[in-house]
Amino acid sequence: MILTVLLVEDDRELRATLRESLALEGYRVLAAASLADARAQFAQPAHRDTIDVVLLDLGLPDGSGESFLAELRAVRPIPVIVISAHHTDDPKVRLLDAGADDYLVKPFSLPELFARVRAALRRRGTRVEPALTHYEGEGLVVDLKAHSVRLHGSSVHLTPTEFNLLARLVRHAGQVVTHRQLLADVWGAEFVEHTHYLRLYMGQLRAKLEEEPAQPRRLLTETGVGYRLVDPGG
Amino acid sequence: MALVLVLASALSSLWLSRWQALVACSLAVMGFNYSFVPPRGTLSVDLQADVLLLGTLLLVGGMVSVLTTRQRELLARERSHLERLEQAQAWGDALREADDPATCAPALQSLLAQITDAPASLWLAPSPGDEATEGHLWGPATAVQQEGLRHCAQAAQALGPDTGRFEQQSHTYLPLRGRARGLGAARVDLAAGPQTAPLRQHAQALCDQMGLALERAAALRSASAAREAAQVHALRNTLLAAIAHDHRTPLASILGAASSLLAQDDRLSAGQRQRLANTIVDEAAQLTRMTDNTLQLARLDSPGLVLHRDWESVEEIVGAVLARVRGRRPGRVVTVAIAPDLPLLRCDAVLMAQMLENLIDNALRHGDGTPVDIVAERRDTRVALTVGDHGPGVPPALQTRIFDLFYRAQGGRGAGVGLALCQAIARVHGGRLAYRDRPGGGALFEYTWTAEPAP
Repeated sequence: MILTVLLVEDDRELRATLRESLALEGYRVLAAASLADARAQFAQPAHRDTIDVVLLDLGLPDGSGESFLAELRAVRPIPVIVISAHHTDDPKVRLLDAGADDYLVKPFSLPELFARVRAALRRRGTRVEPALTHYEGEGLVVDLKAHSVRLHGSSVHLTPTEFNLLARLVRHAGQVVTHRQLLADVWGAEFVEHTHYLRLYMGQLRAKLEEEPAQPRRLLTETGVGYRLVDPGG
Repeated sequence: MALVLVLASALSSLWLSRWQALVACSLAVMGFNYSFVPPRGTLSVDLQADVLLLGTLLLVGGMVSVLTTRQRELLARERSHLERLEQAQAWGDALREADDPATCAPALQSLLAQITDAPASLWLAPSPGDEATEGHLWGPATAVQQEGLRHCAQAAQALGPDTGRFEQQSHTYLPLRGRARGLGAARVDLAAGPQTAPLRQHAQALCDQMGLALERAAALRSASAAREAAQVHALRNTLLAAIAHDHRTPLASILGAASSLLAQDDRLSAGQRQRLANTIVDEAAQLTRMTDNTLQLARLDSPGLVLHRDWESVEEIVGAVLARVRGRRPGRVVTVAIAPDLPLLRCDAVLMAQMLENLIDNALRHGDGTPVDIVAERRDTRVALTVGDHGPGVPPALQTRIFDLFYRAQGGRGAGVGLALCQAIARVHGGRLAYRDRPGGGALFEYTWTAEPAP
């Protein structure tokens, strides 16, 4: 089964490079140079149901991608990966909070891009793999249904909050989860500003699940954005 | 008896004006005639001697009155002259003390109103280069009066009654004259006539003081603006040259490797191709970091900067940075020692990570291949994050310059933007970044901040 990527990028050179290398990875690529272009692509009945993942550049000539994200989501829960040009001061965190699946900051390497696309497809339970309730990677095995966490074969005891935090990351393994999303889903919507809770519990979780908490290999920090449980598929 | 009369007339002239005093004197002489000179009860005089006496009385009384009132007038003129001198001096002092003479405009307006005993208004012309604006007006002025003010300032000549120009105007317009031009004008209420001339001169003198002060301030302003522009220009040129220069080095590597891949493709072994491709990737990443530093520095220096401060864990920031550094320099030894239970740090995590990454990169680059040590620890009420190497360190003569923009270590690569950015990041966070020689040799960069209790 060939998976289809809708690539929305206004720079011709970058679009051509990405298009070619995604094709080499075995994806079918639909390209768009603007939001209007992307809307047109998406409106075609032949494409509407076949697009599996959207790569959305945020610096498009005809607007930011926020409204487009909402339009996509209104039709189908298609995974969206936003591509941003800045580390700070841009709508990327806003889009992630609004439900975009992951992000890349320009310039990025292609293996990074492929990993993000794979993780996004896996989480959505597309034709690649079912949605994640089970995680296995780097010696860590988490079974959300059985409520069990094992590290190198031995069981790890987590408090309920620690477990909920880990579970939220497991369900999106390989993908970034923003501070706001974690706080809202684990503590509740009224706690979205209480970032210090998150630092505290993430520190505890790392103390239990990382050999060297200061140099984590599993629970990664996305500075200024959120956290990411390392992609089990590499 | 006659002498009492002379005395009374002299005394009366101390209060009455010249003509009143003369009339009073004449009346007194007539009264004297009526009451005391025979035949009494009439104004007729019988004796020639009495006529002489009355004439003398009238003459003496009149002269005393005239002399006394003249003396009074002279005294009053002297006094008002002195008053005006003092006023001008105080006004000059006020203008000198003011940073911007324009702020003294309301004071001048009320001063003019005070000396003319009538409402006054004042208009300051817009400063050069700012002609689009209307200028500033203090006090009431009708449209016609505003036109008058503008015209007066432009011509730098007074107009109105007794000025020789537009004499039919009911008000007098006085320009605020500088050396070269009129910088504004004042409208005062002065009647025509020779007696108001000194007052008009006084008012004009006050206005001219203001004009000169305004002109001087404008000259100072434009000189300092020109100096600033020259400095900005020089700095911008240095900046552009340094950035361009620093970007050439990685660009040369990228171009070299990429063109080799293109031109020598069939003669390259798989290993060589891989190495060239790696060079391109590494150098492009280096270029990216340099660009990020420059952009961030520009952002930090711009007005209206907004920091995304949040409670951050030092351990996390170090971990995230280390993952990136290890990714591109897998062979190098970097040790980490983070004290347990460090308080959370309220900061912009992206900036803090960028500072740490620059410091670590710097240590890796200038540390002669020695291990780099990262330590985070508590020191009483402060927290310190240090990055050290075991290399040659920074020579004492250069220690004050390493944080300067575009200062570059000998043989160093990369813009002098890195440490300047670190310093800027420390500054916006209210922390302190300093260099110290490491005991036992090596460079040590230390960022310290006051521990804040988390909410």
